[in-house]
Amino acid sequence: MIEEPYRWVEAIANRREYIEDQLRRGSPVVLLDYADGLLLLTVSRETRKIFEIYDRVGFAALGHPADIERMRLAAIDLAHIEGFNRAVNDVSLRRLVNYGLSPALKVAFEQVFSAPYIVKMLLAELGDDFDHDLIIKLDYDGSMSRSEIETREPFDVLAGSAEAEKQMLDYLVDNKGHARRSLDDALKLAVQTWAVGMEMAERSSQGEPKEAQAEEIDTVKVLKEHLKVRHVEAAVLDRNRSTSSRFHLLEEKEIRAALKDL
Amino acid sequence: MDHPTPLPQFLHDGDFLSVLKVHGYEIAPRLAAAAARFETDGTIATQGTTVLAVKFRDGVLVAGDRRATAGNLVMYERAEKLINIDTHSVLAIAGVPAVAFEIARVLEHSFKYYQRSQLQEMSTAGKVRSLSKLLKENLPLTLQGVGMVVPIFATYEQPNGNDSGGKVYFYDALGAQFEGVDYAASGSGSLAVRSVLHYLNNWGGKPLAKYSEDETIVAALRLLDTAADSDTATSGYNPKSNIFPIVRVITKDGVHEIEESALAKAYRAEV
Repeated sequence: MIEEPYRWVEAIANRREYIEDQLRRGSPVVLLDYADGLLLLTVSRETRKIFEIYDRVGFAALGHPADIERMRLAAIDLAHIEGFNRAVNDVSLRRLVNYGLSPALKVAFEQVFSAPYIVKMLLAELGDDFDHDLIIKLDYDGSMSRSEIETREPFDVLAGSAEAEKQMLDYLVDNKGHARRSLDDALKLAVQTWAVGMEMAERSSQGEPKEAQAEEIDTVKVLKEHLKVRHVEAAVLDRNRSTSSRFHLLEEKEIRAALKDL
Repeated sequence: MDHPTPLPQFLHDGDFLSVLKVHGYEIAPRLAAAAARFETDGTIATQGTTVLAVKFRDGVLVAGDRRATAGNLVMYERAEKLINIDTHSVLAIAGVPAVAFEIARVLEHSFKYYQRSQLQEMSTAGKVRSLSKLLKENLPLTLQGVGMVVPIFATYEQPNGNDSGGKVYFYDALGAQFEGVDYAASGSGSLAVRSVLHYLNNWGGKPLAKYSEDETIVAALRLLDTAADSDTATSGYNPKSNIFPIVRVITKDGVHEIEESALAKAYRAEV
């Protein structure tokens, strides 16, 4: 039956719906330029969501933990082979995504007889200066948006639904997300943006009417509620680090200190 | 249905060497090919000479002279025989640089790969073993006598282990590893270095483990000078060309290179 073209289109559409449904309740991720580099932040229950891929490449994802892990390991493999065969500076996020991850995702998505990857990713590459930082958002079907072409903003977000992502981006624009602030201030803005995304995801999954969904969100209240069972997870790609790896997972006490007067 | 672009991790066992293999890179045949060339055209491989590692109060000091030789030819007077492998480890190489650099490159990426994929640092025992495995890959070359590498691996074990502090491991050419209790030396000048270190450690006033960083630097410079005195393949300090040995210390804060200006000062005052 799949051999008939319109059935195939239908199957793809069903697949899309299924995956998006699976992703809907995922914990959002915020990626933000700050004074010394790039900040990645989410609020997670147990499993880690933010990882180092290579010296200057960070990775965050939402989706099925097994699929996140597979994408993460694939990215690490490709980056290390490249870094080994050439040089550390030749590892490029653009190549990693264009030639490695994106085609693999597309193939898995379109093969309707096998399971697709239920995963959405945000990848960041720290450049020599702000102008050369690169943020790529990669979707479960292999499609992507890049900060250098599509978004043109020094920040990006991941959330379970397009509406939630839009609200988060609006929140970042309203709060001058492009102003490269100190790490502490960036953490505050990022965690509040997370709260906007999470609240939106919950409101829409509970099927609340549009008006109720658009209601002002008390980010601090939402956050306090979630932090009872979750914790803030954040990492930076820090231009000023002296080691060859610029990736650094922030410690819980650092994060807590930055957020204490929120 | 076949998966047209399988993600690479389905094909290997998680070790970086096997990742390399999946991507068509095997270290042993490459090295063997290099060795075959040396055998047929009778070229003498370039050799790096004297390196040493000494445990002192705050960690480990690693030093190496700068000369690379081929037979009785001086090939290069600015060779770097210390290679930083990660934030707290240095590989000091004596032997054929062509092989040693390859080994160092594989090692560096193996540790990084392990740390990122497994989300934890490889243990010191694991690191020491990885180097041993690579040396064993090089066995055919070693037996042919053209690609021998005898490295020293110096590292600082983080205080969360029960056995923290500076560590020195040395290897034989076949890949057997030994832990140096207080020090290790390798290369053509190592006999002189080891003899003096033994003397210093036992009858030199205080054991090496009590030396301060500055005292250890002076001792290392004197040792390389001593080695150069009797071994032509080891370069001493040459004021005319202003080439200094390379000296690094590994403490709990990581690897730190001693600047040439500091070495120059130590030479003027103490050597």
